[in-house]
Amino acid sequence: MRRPTLYVLLTACVAIAALSSFRGDEIVSEPSLAAEASLAPEEVEASSDEQAEVANDEPRHFRAPHNVNLFITEDDAVRAPGEDWFEQQAELFPGRYSYDESLADGEGGWVDKDGKYELRYDEEEEEAFYWRVLTKEELTIGRQDYVQFCASCHGFEGDGYGRSAQHLRPGPRNFQRAMFKFSKVTQALPSDEALKTLIRNGLDGTPMLAWDLSDQQLDGIIQYIKTLSEPETGWRDLFTEIGDVVEVGENPWVGKESEAVTAGEKVYHKNDCYACHPGYLAPPDLAALREAPEGTTFRDNLSYPAIKDSDYTVLDHQLKILPPDFTWHQLRAGTTPLDLFKTIAAGIKGAAMPQWKGAFPDEDIWAVAYYVHHLVTEYKDQPAKRSAFMNALRRDQ
Amino acid sequence: MHRLQTLLLPRLKSCAALLALIGLTGVARAQEAAETVNRWGLGEPASDYGYRFTDLFWLITILVGVSFVLVLILIAIPVIRDRARPGHKASFDHGSSLHDKQVTTVISVITFLVLDAWVLVIAMQDLREAYWAYPDGDDEGVYEVQVLAQQWSWNFRAAGADGEFGTADDILSNSELVVPVGRPVSFQMTSKDVIHALFLPEMRMKKDVNPGDLNKAWFQANRSGDFTILCAELCGFAHYQMHGKLTVLEQDTFNEWEQEASKLALAAFDSEDTESQWAWDWEQ
Ligand SMILES: [Cu+2]
Repeated sequence: MRRPTLYVLLTACVAIAALSSFRGDEIVSEPSLAAEASLAPEEVEASSDEQAEVANDEPRHFRAPHNVNLFITEDDAVRAPGEDWFEQQAELFPGRYSYDESLADGEGGWVDKDGKYELRYDEEEEEAFYWRVLTKEELTIGRQDYVQFCASCHGFEGDGYGRSAQHLRPGPRNFQRAMFKFSKVTQALPSDEALKTLIRNGLDGTPMLAWDLSDQQLDGIIQYIKTLSEPETGWRDLFTEIGDVVEVGENPWVGKESEAVTAGEKVYHKNDCYACHPGYLAPPDLAALREAPEGTTFRDNLSYPAIKDSDYTVLDHQLKILPPDFTWHQLRAGTTPLDLFKTIAAGIKGAAMPQWKGAFPDEDIWAVAYYVHHLVTEYKDQPAKRSAFMNALRRDQ
Repeated sequence: MHRLQTLLLPRLKSCAALLALIGLTGVARAQEAAETVNRWGLGEPASDYGYRFTDLFWLITILVGVSFVLVLILIAIPVIRDRARPGHKASFDHGSSLHDKQVTTVISVITFLVLDAWVLVIAMQDLREAYWAYPDGDDEGVYEVQVLAQQWSWNFRAAGADGEFGTADDILSNSELVVPVGRPVSFQMTSKDVIHALFLPEMRMKKDVNPGDLNKAWFQANRSGDFTILCAELCGFAHYQMHGKLTVLEQDTFNEWEQEASKLALAAFDSEDTESQWAWDWEQ
């Protein structure tokens, strides 16, 4: 066979193979593809309101639009940290923030040289508020990173129901509601720092991974997340307080860790922690510790946790949360005594776990932190040792 | 070019020494690491059929290694023998003579029989006798696990104490799986979003997990311990973080673990939360 003939034959074979592999695609024309087509670039230029309507009409799971600044047409303003924060920053970075007494109708306020923060005076409320002004460019970059790293679970609109969020428990946070379980802050809204720490560390035992992103990327994502709050709520509310990271203070148990565990066991069982978490004492021992009168009974299944209501919802269903059994469940936000102190002190927002800071002396919170740490290191992931411990508690039941 | 040569040649020896040194440190490091985690070999398989993979791996490696050296030698011979040198013109041809064609054909056939056919026969045997020999669903001893993969973690569901899927005492876990030793563990797997692949390297088990499809896989652990769960299909930005822990427990410890896990699952069960009930009927 002459060579040119061979080439022609070969090319023909490749062409036939290529054509036959494409044939399958022509048949497929699912409604989801049609929905995508309606997000054509021409519509991107429309006003923001119109776009919002388009977005609401879409099925819940459309694919990431190629032009991700689709929804961002205007500058957005979100609640900024308060007066204290500016004072601290002025000390840390001399020259970046300065105080101007003439501002806010003579009340005085901080001025930001970079133009990131703004002090606005509300005449109706007769009060001054700090705002962070987010530019379209900042938000666009933030949204791009959000779409790449966060949207598969938290959803393109931040509703906490992305493609991978289906069936998932615990569910991803709904950013429109601006409520976070493990922010470790004392107020409703976490500070930027608290959110950064959370995203960097992730939440163990959940698909919220420890994200290894740059400071700049994290800042962009966090600012974008803030704009997802419903208008007049969360970060877009004039009156929400932005929480400080919980104050740690000095650890009173350094060098006396085993005493801390013993003290923590007492604090834990004297203060009804076992109402939700398991009780780690046999009922007679618990009665003795509490000096309970003869015949006192405790809740059923004392050595198991009791499920509690929460403020979190998925598809309008109010979710319930099982408080962890420290000898069994993976704790979300760290198991060192320091992490546990922060979590217990700040409480878990939207769940049955209240903020304990202020309700108890720090010394007691530290003791409980050491006790929980002890339970985790002694029994978690050690099935034989754990069942010996738990079976001893249940023997008399 | 010439300058470069005068610059490099005298230093060639010291360069070689340096390279050798780096190489040796590398080996020393590797040995150090091997004491904690064996990163430089396949390690001992932890499943009954795992030896098949190890055997096949080494068979292929040796066959390919030997052929590689053979081919190098066969290339080296004419390059040296037929090169241009004083009194000898370099000779070459297109290999178009009948004799050449015959030699080529014989070599090809031998290569196919020795390499491809041999490996193919063994591989098909392994697939038939082990990897595709799924345990019988009616067998009491089979531990069944449903897998729902997602970006970027593994959701596992075991039937729990009652042996039924989709009930309140199903054991749910995220990126952590506990199984018994010496019993077949059978998977049925699907994905919420993109293609993932469940990879248990110590068990020598790997299978794609596709959205809209139910894939099967199985293994039987031959020793207890902690092992690795990985995703072996590039599935997005955090694919590298999509790993987990497989714990194999002795039968007694496992039974106790299963009872307790089932009770805790029951404590966490919210009957109104229908969306979290993603189980399916076990397909035979
Ligand atoms: Cu994956």
